[in-house]
Amino acid sequence: MFNEMYQSESVIRNHYNNINDWLDQMTSKVILEKNAEAETHFRNIGITFSTNNETARERIIPFDLIPRIFTYTEWLRLERGVIQRAKALNAFLADIYNQGEIIKANIIPKEIIYKKKSFEPSMFGFSPPRDIYSPIIGIDLVRTGPNDYFVLEDNCRTPSGVSYMLENREIMMRMFPDLFHNNRVTPIDDYPTRLLQTLMSLAPIKCENPEPVCVLLTPGPLNSAYYEHSFLSDQMGIEMVESTDLFVEGKYLYMKTVDGPKRVDVVYRRIDDDFLDPLCFNPQSVIGIPGIMDVYRTGGVNICSAPGAGIADDKAIYIYVPEMIKFYLGEQPILDNVETWNCEKEHELKYVLDNINELVVKEVDGSGGYGMLIGPKSSKSSIDEFKTKLSTNPKGYIAQPLLDLSFSPTLIKNQVEGRRVDLRPFCLIGEQAQLSSGGLTRVAMNEGSFVVNSSQGGGVKDTWVLAE
Amino acid sequence: MLSRTAEYLYWISRYMERAETTARLLNVGYRMSLFPNPSGYNNEWESVLSAAGAIESYKNKYNTIEQRNVEDYLFFDESNPSSVYNCILNARNNALVVRTSFTPESWLAINKTYQEILNLKDKKFTKSDLPDLTEWTVEQVNLFRGSLSSLLRNDGYNFLFLGLFIERADNSARLLDVKYFVLLPKPQYVGGNIDNMQWSILLRSLSSFRAFRWAYDGNITATKIADFLVLNNNCPRSLSFCIQNIVKHLTNLTCSPEKVGRIYNNLKDLNTKIQEEKIEAIVEYGLHQFVTQFIRKISSVDHEIHKEFFN
Repeated sequence: MFNEMYQSESVIRNHYNNINDWLDQMTSKVILEKNAEAETHFRNIGITFSTNNETARERIIPFDLIPRIFTYTEWLRLERGVIQRAKALNAFLADIYNQGEIIKANIIPKEIIYKKKSFEPSMFGFSPPRDIYSPIIGIDLVRTGPNDYFVLEDNCRTPSGVSYMLENREIMMRMFPDLFHNNRVTPIDDYPTRLLQTLMSLAPIKCENPEPVCVLLTPGPLNSAYYEHSFLSDQMGIEMVESTDLFVEGKYLYMKTVDGPKRVDVVYRRIDDDFLDPLCFNPQSVIGIPGIMDVYRTGGVNICSAPGAGIADDKAIYIYVPEMIKFYLGEQPILDNVETWNCEKEHELKYVLDNINELVVKEVDGSGGYGMLIGPKSSKSSIDEFKTKLSTNPKGYIAQPLLDLSFSPTLIKNQVEGRRVDLRPFCLIGEQAQLSSGGLTRVAMNEGSFVVNSSQGGGVKDTWVLAE
Repeated sequence: MLSRTAEYLYWISRYMERAETTARLLNVGYRMSLFPNPSGYNNEWESVLSAAGAIESYKNKYNTIEQRNVEDYLFFDESNPSSVYNCILNARNNALVVRTSFTPESWLAINKTYQEILNLKDKKFTKSDLPDLTEWTVEQVNLFRGSLSSLLRNDGYNFLFLGLFIERADNSARLLDVKYFVLLPKPQYVGGNIDNMQWSILLRSLSSFRAFRWAYDGNITATKIADFLVLNNNCPRSLSFCIQNIVKHLTNLTCSPEKVGRIYNNLKDLNTKIQEEKIEAIVEYGLHQFVTQFIRKISSVDHEIHKEFFN
């Protein structure tokens, strides 16, 4: 068991000393007040979310006051590891939508690529600007020891959570300015600027504008990440559009403005592939911009991330990412994968069924902590239920060992207690590849819990990277 | 600017303005209900409902006009599209979509108001709470308006204020339409209680009670009040002030000069007339008729703004 703050029961890790002193002086009264202040702040700015079982009122994510801290050296390694992974994932996408060298080299069997729903045949033979398919990648990491980091999953489509990373920092600076005088915390508030630079560096070939017009495409206010959409477009100073604001005419994409049509060069889309273009994808879709795929393929607009980028974060493809890094970059992977059993393969399914009490079973297409089984924590009946599911639909599942996620000190009813955490840093790839100096730390607020998802009672923390 | 953004901005300030008007009307009704008349107490609730444009929908829901029901209908009722609650809810939902087009302070002002009205709605109210509710509403709207002062003076700003003054012009005119008879000249000035009370209703509903005394010397007369509420450009709720500001924010728009020109042409005559006319001439022509035409014109301008810019 690894604790982020305590080296042993009585020894605090050096980089947590200041935080420990700060915690010592805080009375329960102050903690209560600050918790209330943070909650009011989040409610007022409207950083709320909705879950699958919708209740009338919007919810806010519990915010824990104790930051999670990385030293400069720790972060350096994570940074190199995440960027390496993000580059390999993009190289993989460029490859499978063109020559398919990795298949010819017998590293990844072609069935698991071409048969996936997330593989997009219409992308075949087309190369997006700079060969970047997924310019914004969120990598979910967990830590089990001082130098042991594992990648749980890659998010290559439209990873969310970056607004929490930024707002958590804002509220901490507002409530505890002294902390930032006494600790040299690397700023993160330039993320939106870097995101905009990244998007602008990915202008389509037919764009003549030296400052390409970018927009953020949102499904609308009912989407659970709507706050983030408006936050990011506000911070970048670009329009947040819905698909009804856009239309195709001739070979270009336009938005409807009070001045008349205005050409759009780059679409940072936060909607799924299926809802992009009813002519190309889902004909039943009432949202979407008819003809946008034509404009995209003829270089009139860029869509970020590219349609079909989702194949790269498929749970069945995940298994091969270390191989991709070696194949495309000629490097050794810096970050480890979690050992994963692919239930589609008969002998691996057998192993999973025999050892299900020790394993975590996940749906291949699941997310948000739904549809998963944590073997060691589950009742016999839910284990039996999953055994049946596995036997009837083995393709739909993978299994992994239960990792001993690191503990981070967390305020529970005014007491400092250890709770498990993960980390999602955000990697940008355009003209250059760069990583946010920090990320979103999610914390499983319930004692003993391994599930950090906000839909399942998870909270968030500010994440610090100390300056050199 | 996106057409949809412009439309949402326009409606945000319309809703906020309407919330304030409704709150003021409720406040006037409440005041009147405390004063005796020969048969008991004054009952202004019917004219409050008329001025709020809610008399018919109210009567569909309730058989009798009672304070408690009117209060609830105009303040909290979710089935009344113009209730203060619905105005704030709509403004907030629009603001959520276009928060990128105004300042964080404006968003905060609206969202806090929304969070508070959710809490207010959950509580039980007694009759005597109404003044607190209406005062709260006016305060919240002022907070929102104040936050607009730090906005960029771009088209978004002008659409916000176009919405505000279209709504205000309509609200002021409707109130005059309901109460025009108290402004008709009497054979001689009597200054009876009834007149005083009716005049005070009008002025208070337009938040101009004290302003009027500062603007006009001497006796209160129906003509002076009519002049104040229709033609006085210093009165921020008079019809002429509203028209003047509609023209100003319309012509300040930098997008599509031809569209602006078309709308302006429709408005030009009314603006010239109202700026040059004397109140006596209007009264002679017929105040009621004048106000009715005014309402129709504002509605057609609103229609044109939608057609030209928001489609």
